[in-house]
Amino acid sequence: MGPVIESHGLSHEYPDGTTALRDVSLTIEAGERVAVIGANGSGKSTLQLALGGLVDASAGTVEYFGETTDAETVRDRLGVLLQDPDDYLFNTTVREDLEYGPAQLGMSKQAADRRIERLSDRLGLTGLLDQPPFRLSGGEKQRAAVASVLTFAPDVLLLDEPFGAVDGRYRERILELMTAHEGAVVSFTPSPDLVPELADRVILIGQDGSVIADGPVREVLTDGPLLREHGLRPPATVRLFDGIVDADAIPLTVSEAREFLVREIR
Amino acid sequence: MTGLVGRSVESITGALRGVFAAERVAAADGFLQRRDPRASLCAVAGLALAVMITRTLAVTLFFGAVTVALARLSKVPLRRLLARSAVVPAASAFVVLPQLVLLPGETLVQVLGVAVTDAGVSYVVLFTLRVGTGVALLSLIVMTTPFSAVVAAMRELRIPVALVWVIAVTYRYLFLFFDELQRLILARNSRTTGRSSVRGGWRDARRLAGTFLLRTIDRGERVGRGMRARGGARPPSPYGRARSVDRYDYALVALAAATVVGSGVIRWGL
Repeated sequence: MGPVIESHGLSHEYPDGTTALRDVSLTIEAGERVAVIGANGSGKSTLQLALGGLVDASAGTVEYFGETTDAETVRDRLGVLLQDPDDYLFNTTVREDLEYGPAQLGMSKQAADRRIERLSDRLGLTGLLDQPPFRLSGGEKQRAAVASVLTFAPDVLLLDEPFGAVDGRYRERILELMTAHEGAVVSFTPSPDLVPELADRVILIGQDGSVIADGPVREVLTDGPLLREHGLRPPATVRLFDGIVDADAIPLTVSEAREFLVREIR
Repeated sequence: MTGLVGRSVESITGALRGVFAAERVAAADGFLQRRDPRASLCAVAGLALAVMITRTLAVTLFFGAVTVALARLSKVPLRRLLARSAVVPAASAFVVLPQLVLLPGETLVQVLGVAVTDAGVSYVVLFTLRVGTGVALLSLIVMTTPFSAVVAAMRELRIPVALVWVIAVTYRYLFLFFDELQRLILARNSRTTGRSSVRGGWRDARRLAGTFLLRTIDRGERVGRGMRARGGARPPSPYGRARSVDRYDYALVALAAATVVGSGVIRWGL
């Protein structure tokens, strides 16, 4: 299948002199599930924008699908969800916002309608389609934004804090949609707790904007000292079982922890 | 809330209420809502052009009556249409007000030693009515047709892409502009006591204006990225809402064409 995104020596400095990214080189393979974690201000969102071709990095290049460095030519294959849903919802109704991407990117109306109907049903948006986006609650806006990036079925999803203010029920639904997505999914989040459910691989970004660690979820998330050194708290189950069981046996999710406890108690 | 800021909140809330109402009207089953968007766009543009051509009070009043009739047939509340369309003609009237005394003519009344002429009054009244009717017609299409349908109709009518682009982006940014202003004022009001002098109100407004400018620039950049992320760098191409054009659509466009010709004949005597 090959890489869908490759960055080479990506660095970025904002006009005020703040360094957001420092020599970031990484490869995202087709179908891969990756979580990019880092403390506030570490440059995760800038990295997402740079990988999505929405910010021109000060240095370095990004290559898409092994064939081009111009994101606009492969825009229909890149699904970039921005951190703030208000930046995504600028049309007069939710339906127009969901149609915006497919229409701009050349998807047929029939195909778009089918996807919009299915996504609206899954994300509880059916009754909100004719409402103006700015009348929605925070969670509803987030669901609409997630739906709008999924409507045109991109090959790669770059999702900045995809759960936002979404409640538990729809968090599960978004997770299911992300799991069912056939392409690569890269999630950017400051919260390691959800990472075991989102990804198989974790990239830790340090406060200086460089890649500190890049490896399997277990390897990175069970390294409490490393996470704390870079402003993050290990997942709750790791904090609970750390020092009690071996690192390679620490449950990473609540369901794993439950299974572990049931097994041990019996 | 302070006086000035409080009034701002009221006016913004009023504007947003107007937007919500417009959406309800667009969803209603009225005459213009049932028309093919291309026909509505052509007809309204034609009527607006006819209004701009005319220089006769009676003809302008006729177009005003046509606008009111279209609004009634399209279930658009007249008060809402008036409120939505009043700002531009009011501002226009203010701009041309000096013509009351500058245009030579028969003196109607003396104000502070300056003569207000009949020609001046006619000019100001006619100008304001023409602008008001034109704006009301354009408001009517925005209130009765979803905006994406208007954009799609413009593309289908082969209006230059650059012009469609400017209209689409301006319209969207207008909503974001008010949204950002409302957020800023709410954030400010949540941290003030509500006791302020007039001078304090103006000071607040000055600070608010500076912050607002920076925030709108920032928001504009972020929304621009949101658009580009979904193909916004390409020319606007929303899905068309074209329906089968029926005899009412043809009749509406024919009426608009006839009014353009009629206006021209009355003005230039062709």
